[in-house]
Amino acid sequence: MSQIYGWTGKILRVDLSTGKTSIDDTMKYKDFIGGEGIGYKILWDEVPAGTHPFDPANKLILGAGPLCGSGVPCSGRTTIVSLLPTSPFHGPSSSHMGGYFSVEMKYAGWDAIVMEGKAPKPVWIRIEDDKVRIEDARWLWGKGIFDTMAMIGSQMGKEAQVAAIGPAGENQLNMAVIRTGTSHSAGGHGGILGAKNVKAVAVKGTGSVKVAADRAKFMELDKFMMSIIGANNQMVVPSSPQPWAEFSDRTSRWTGRPGLFWGAANPPVETGVCDPHDMQSVGFRTMKAVFDLGASAEKYTVRMGGCAHCPIRCHSQLKVPQLEKYGMDPFVSNTCVGWSGPRGVLYNGIKEFDGNGPDSSIVGNAIGTTLVDDLGVWCNYGQIGRDVKYLYTKGIFKQVLPAAEYASIPWDKLEKGDATFLIDFYDRVAHKKGEIWHIADGSAWIAQRWGLGDEYWDSKDNKLWTRGGYPVHHSNEAGAQVGALVSCFSNRDSQNHTHMNFIGSKLPIAIQKEIAGEIFGSPDALDAPMDYTKMNVYKARFVKYALVRGRLHDSLTLCNWMWPMAVSPLKERNYRGDTSLEAQFFSAVTGVTKTEAELDKDAERVVDLFRALTVRSMGTVDMRGKHDAMNKWIYTPDKDKEGKEIPQFTKGTIQMEKADLDLGLGMVYKQFGWDEKTGAPTKAGLEAVGLKDVADELGSKGLLPV
Amino acid sequence: MSESKENKEGLLGSTSTRRDFLRIAGTGIAGAFVTLTLGCATMVRTRDGKSLKVWATPSGAMVQDPNLCVGCRRCEAACTVRNDGKVSAYVARVKLSRNLNYGVAGVTSAYAFADGQHGNFRLVAETCRQCAQPKCGDACPAGAIKADKKTGARVVDARRCVGCGACQDACPWHIATLDPETRISTKCSLCDGDPACAKACPTGSIKFYTWEEAEKLLWGADATSGASAVSGATA
Repeated sequence: MSQIYGWTGKILRVDLSTGKTSIDDTMKYKDFIGGEGIGYKILWDEVPAGTHPFDPANKLILGAGPLCGSGVPCSGRTTIVSLLPTSPFHGPSSSHMGGYFSVEMKYAGWDAIVMEGKAPKPVWIRIEDDKVRIEDARWLWGKGIFDTMAMIGSQMGKEAQVAAIGPAGENQLNMAVIRTGTSHSAGGHGGILGAKNVKAVAVKGTGSVKVAADRAKFMELDKFMMSIIGANNQMVVPSSPQPWAEFSDRTSRWTGRPGLFWGAANPPVETGVCDPHDMQSVGFRTMKAVFDLGASAEKYTVRMGGCAHCPIRCHSQLKVPQLEKYGMDPFVSNTCVGWSGPRGVLYNGIKEFDGNGPDSSIVGNAIGTTLVDDLGVWCNYGQIGRDVKYLYTKGIFKQVLPAAEYASIPWDKLEKGDATFLIDFYDRVAHKKGEIWHIADGSAWIAQRWGLGDEYWDSKDNKLWTRGGYPVHHSNEAGAQVGALVSCFSNRDSQNHTHMNFIGSKLPIAIQKEIAGEIFGSPDALDAPMDYTKMNVYKARFVKYALVRGRLHDSLTLCNWMWPMAVSPLKERNYRGDTSLEAQFFSAVTGVTKTEAELDKDAERVVDLFRALTVRSMGTVDMRGKHDAMNKWIYTPDKDKEGKEIPQFTKGTIQMEKADLDLGLGMVYKQFGWDEKTGAPTKAGLEAVGLKDVADELGSKGLLPV
Repeated sequence: MSESKENKEGLLGSTSTRRDFLRIAGTGIAGAFVTLTLGCATMVRTRDGKSLKVWATPSGAMVQDPNLCVGCRRCEAACTVRNDGKVSAYVARVKLSRNLNYGVAGVTSAYAFADGQHGNFRLVAETCRQCAQPKCGDACPAGAIKADKKTGARVVDARRCVGCGACQDACPWHIATLDPETRISTKCSLCDGDPACAKACPTGSIKFYTWEEAEKLLWGADATSGASAVSGATA
């Protein structure tokens, strides 16, 4: 076999039913890039429509792409593909985790691990380079994720990277995670590992990822990338005025500044000026603890952490000694919704509780995160908190829970914002106690089980985007129709930051619009915040770009919370980034030269395959009516203080308009070559991206638009 | 890189080298005589008839500050891209990955309070100390490890390496590593005076220090950086 660069060339297949392992050739999947693309191809080829996610016939793919492990900035992510239990039609989905797992998997020689069947008893999978063993997990089953990892590390060696489930996954909760490292969770697929009797996958690799390019040139490209990279979410403007910066914006995640410290480091470390020309300060600029948890988090911050090969450290790593009062270890780490999701159950916020004084909020956040990270519960991107609020305040819990169970729950703590409520709550949920645990079935399923009607779906407070049961994730507040339409195409929260990593840059809107014009053909692709205009074709191009790059990043695997690099912090570049960097790195690492357009075409193939999988799962071509239809609150006008409707497209409102969104959906369908009426991929469109076999199968099932 | 250290060949480059040499030789230096010069190392025969390789003092060494390290492992990637044309944590001459989860000591029952990502978040990367009397070099049966003429770093001559792994076994910190793919040993060469790991570090956690500074940091007497006890010195 000739030398393969980037990819390792091998996929590990584990048949849990028989205990047999085998090797597959990655290169037969190269048209699907890696990671997510390979996962969807395997689902399409091997998992029949109608399979239940927890059925042994379902498969779960832990995937990495050709750039993972190569050292390219922000390339440490793992993409997991399987059917999704929270989806009301058990559609396909990816989930993602950062950390170090996929990099270790690559160094062990594997681009992906495909698990199928069901082990006859609890097991964990031990991978040391090309040696694979299925181990007895009887001593691990029932354990929290932290101890599980330590027990595996003690057996396999301290350098092993582990992906594991907690009791929530073992108990086959729909809302369960697969977690790696100290704080990296992939939401929604934990129950599938539980159903397969797999507690964990652990890997150790002594190999490498080969880089095709000339070493000096590759290092030069890395250096260039390091000059245009921003802070978390590619925010390129600092939050406070700095000597090097023309602009500042206090809402930026570029929070590093003189006088702000990692306060619990020994000695404390000042984040400092963080001039973008100083590569040795890049890791200080995202001081996320104070962004996520407020100013008082500074003194608890040991340092910032994150993923392999990423200079942007977005995971706050704190020492919160108060946790020991609750039998928890004081060290806790997470980022964004990893903090706000678990404690979001306290819908009144966290008030002062249990003698924790003004820092109760920090302690409460830390309790919530520690609980779900150990038990392995998924928050459905924060939806669990909004669901608790709705069900409790509307009196629905009182109706649907048995009286004794209802009486046993410390609702007074919930109302008072006492974070110890979370300890009681997540214990019930993860261990499937009583009736309340069904909240972790996910929104679509509780709507059925507990008879939640239109009011539930159409409530603005609930933020549910479609009847698929998932919430907003950078939707209509983010670029008007762009964010709104990006949110329609997945089977869980859209997990798409392509658009945010540009429009959230904090650059003045005039500069952003100029750059949007250069990429999408007109500055009209982007509206100013809270000042929206009607749908246009440039916005449709932006939506397509966001969706295509999302799939590209999850396939390469690059972090879609940083990539693409449309903007930069550099005035001398007129704040331009370089959207061809993915293609430049792909060509450099793999030795397979591709232009930006060619690589986008490969990613478009992955988008189309995902769309075809969704059509096949739902058994209908009516994507517009059955899948993409947005909930009513999104296009219901707001009312002013006098109760008068505020018309859409007036300054100050972000509410959408139904006819405009319907037009927008059609325009996006057209961008992808899908049927404008139904939104389903067409025979010609699928064949144009090399998916003739997919078109043929859909045709044979009557699932091609007429 | 310190100019003042570059050309200090021979036995008497620093007090430490001389001290260690005297201890190892077990005899007065006046009784030794040079028998062979190997790069910047020198073979001497002591008064009591022992044969001994004496090494030129290196210009310095890479030292990591666990308080600043964010665990991104860009140091390892840069190291192996520059030196091997591939990226590997196992082969990287900066040994962070193996300590990332649970510190140098590995998993203990008190892991939640010990070093590492699963503990107190203190991340220790072990680096080559460019020892005055390097056990890797002394153990090499092929004479493949020599002091680089420019930097004094103890470097592997890939053409002479026989892939036996004696250096890896001999190093008290197992820094030298036999690359399982090439069967050739790898160890820190200071990148010919322009260390790739330091340039790639996004927090300045890993830096080049002159040998005197490095010696103080690595061997426990913290004098220069304000770092707490550094690297494998605590192991």
